[in-house]
Amino acid sequence: MSTHTEPPALAGLEWFGPNLNPEARARLAAMAKVVEYPPGAEVFREGEEATQFGIVTAGRIALRVLVPERGQTTILTCEPGDIVNWSALVPPYRSTSTGVAIEPVTLLAFDGAELRNALRHDCALAAVVYPRLLRAVARRLVATRNQLLDLFARQVGEPW
Amino acid sequence: MVATPEPRAQDPEPVGAALPRTEPLPAEGTWFLAKANLQLLIDQLRADGRIVLGPTVADGAIVIDEVRSVEALPVGWRDHQAPGHYRLERRTDGAAATRIFDFTVGPQSPKRWTFPPRTPLAVGRRDDGRVRHEPVAPKPPKLAFLGLRACEIAALEVQDRVFLGGPFVDPDYEARREAAFIVAVECAVAGGTCFCTSMGTGPEVTRGYDLALTELDEGFLVRAGSRAGADLLGRLPLSLPSADQLNRATEQRARVRAAIGDPVATRGLRDRLLAQWDSPRWAAVAERCLLCANCTLVCPTCFCSSVEQRSDLDGRTATMERVWDSCFTAGFAKVAGGSFRSRPRDRYRQWLTHKFATWIDQFGTFGCVGCGRCITWCPVGIDVRAELAAIAPPFEVAAEPLAVPAVGGPAEFRPARIREVRHETADTTTLLLDQLHPAFPAGRPGQFVMVNLPAFPPLPISISRFHPDAIELTIRAAGPATTALIGLPVGHEIGLRGPLGTSWPLDRALGRDVVIVTGGIGLAPLRPLVDAIAAQRDRFDAVRLYYGARTPRDLLYREDLVVWGRDAEIEVSLTVDRAGPDWTGPVGVVTNLFDRASWDGRHAVAFVCGPERMMQVTVDVLRELGLADDRIFVTLERHMECGIGLCGHCQMGRFFVCRDGPVFSIAQLGGVFGREGI
Repeated sequence: MSTHTEPPALAGLEWFGPNLNPEARARLAAMAKVVEYPPGAEVFREGEEATQFGIVTAGRIALRVLVPERGQTTILTCEPGDIVNWSALVPPYRSTSTGVAIEPVTLLAFDGAELRNALRHDCALAAVVYPRLLRAVARRLVATRNQLLDLFARQVGEPW
Repeated sequence: MVATPEPRAQDPEPVGAALPRTEPLPAEGTWFLAKANLQLLIDQLRADGRIVLGPTVADGAIVIDEVRSVEALPVGWRDHQAPGHYRLERRTDGAAATRIFDFTVGPQSPKRWTFPPRTPLAVGRRDDGRVRHEPVAPKPPKLAFLGLRACEIAALEVQDRVFLGGPFVDPDYEARREAAFIVAVECAVAGGTCFCTSMGTGPEVTRGYDLALTELDEGFLVRAGSRAGADLLGRLPLSLPSADQLNRATEQRARVRAAIGDPVATRGLRDRLLAQWDSPRWAAVAERCLLCANCTLVCPTCFCSSVEQRSDLDGRTATMERVWDSCFTAGFAKVAGGSFRSRPRDRYRQWLTHKFATWIDQFGTFGCVGCGRCITWCPVGIDVRAELAAIAPPFEVAAEPLAVPAVGGPAEFRPARIREVRHETADTTTLLLDQLHPAFPAGRPGQFVMVNLPAFPPLPISISRFHPDAIELTIRAAGPATTALIGLPVGHEIGLRGPLGTSWPLDRALGRDVVIVTGGIGLAPLRPLVDAIAAQRDRFDAVRLYYGARTPRDLLYREDLVVWGRDAEIEVSLTVDRAGPDWTGPVGVVTNLFDRASWDGRHAVAFVCGPERMMQVTVDVLRELGLADDRIFVTLERHMECGIGLCGHCQMGRFFVCRDGPVFSIAQLGGVFGREGI
């Protein structure tokens, strides 16, 4: 399903921000793999162990949740610059949705256990990665709240 | 409403009119006084025991001084004023050589006599451990001001509010004001720094005088404004003016008004100014300001003062004197720990916001009468008219002439026929209407109509497309009236009023990038805007449309979206809140489409329509991308019934959304946008 290759270039590392120091960059680059998925490929599955944290560098991944009687419902898509499967870094390390490539997708991927181990032992690296991670999750949280309002469903009063 | 003073209703009684007018004045109406008889007026005022203070030439300026004879007046003199500039010119030819009041205002105003620069208040004595303070009783001289202009009378009325209108009445001012007789003169020329027309104070003299003169070449039209004035008229040799003289006076007033124009946009000025505490212009103007306080000293309304002690050599007796102070001085806002307004920019801001904004809160009127003295006598020529326009520019949308609907009255519904019914989504339908009044297809993008089907309440509906002889309305079933409208068959008629409200200011976007953000049925009022852009695409730089819907099936105008992207070089990005597996586009909130965009918002103008909460989130993101508030336009939804600002339902702060909107810039809305309960 997926093809693992050594990183020819490190598109996606810029997600970690402009102040990434050379040591941290080298450390992350050594752990990163470029992974490609064809349309329809399942990148991770809701409820299963999240083994891989990724940064989308090309394509689109749909995050789907299964709603009984409604089937798989896409609640968000992840675009280039977005992270996927952040659950790989946050206990209990289980995916909260199913990620499906709906276009040819390229990920800059990190093995969850390896990255966690590195962050645990390298405070400088953790100081770079966790704020970025928190920011990305917060952006997603705020957007989710706005989505939750279902604003377009029924506007107050008469539409015009 | 805007805090423009409405002086007619609440102003203090005009001076001299305090006496009840129980019987007709003996000299009601306008009379003619020959120029040769002006001396008699001066003589009569002096015979009443008054010191006559009038204009006279001294030190290269027209100043106010005692005038005993007409020869002391500036006969033939003309002044020329500009920012930081004042020059006198003596005219020797023709009628100009005999004109007495062909100038505007000099550096002084009656303030110098009604609120003198130095006034003794009390004498304090210290003797053997005991202290005594004896107030100095005001002993004002009986004065007659000859030649006060409309703006100066307005300034006296502003000072009346300050000194007489509050819980504490200033006894010195009160006594001086009561002892003064006012002979007003209407301006026959406009000064280069005048803006009384904008402040609503002149040039016509309408109240607050005992006598009012209008100079003509051969003499004066004169009218009385009080019993004292009428009494004096009875002692002068007068004749009835000719129709020609009355006409010339009217034309003279009109010429002055036209020459001044309307240089300061006062509508909404208070609120605009108070929204600009952080304008970078304060620092810029402070670079030029010398903090000399000239502007406050020449101002006819500035009233700030300090109390000084003048002590005898032995320190036992001290006179307390009130002296003029100025908010431009270093010590004005000083406390033990330092000054609250240490920077020049703070002091200029204090002065300007007081004159044009906070004065209204304190005294119910502007603190400025538009006399222009602060402009003329500023040594570096800082022009308050230009500063106001730069710091708090008038709202471009509000400055648009209000759209007068072609079909406007609340009962004026005109029939329109349904030519086509197009089902856009499960609950949204577009009606194509023809056989209608030509005003409707002549409307502008963003405008709306009131739609009525008899037996249902009228509804405001945006026009979603214009055709040469037809319009489209896109209606979503949300209640009985909308459900009835979209269930009508082809050929049925409905009633329309409008087009109503403001439109998208497309001219603001010429030569710029255009960002259109919308959600749900919010695309309907924007579609005519996109049509207009597509029709003249080369006049805009990049055009980007971001559109969010609930699900893929709720996307409106799907064919248009394709055509705009393919043929009009409009970058169309769609997103939905949730989707089934067949949707391969983005899913998420509409701001996800552009919150990490690389385009530069500083070059863009944005048009936004959707649920208010969505617009708030959008505006926040647009700001982060560099768009200024005055280049973000939204259209607001409110309960509307009349559509013409008369029924009151759609009021939002100082706006009626139907009349002043529905399209507003975020700058214009200020703090009311997104605020709860407005």
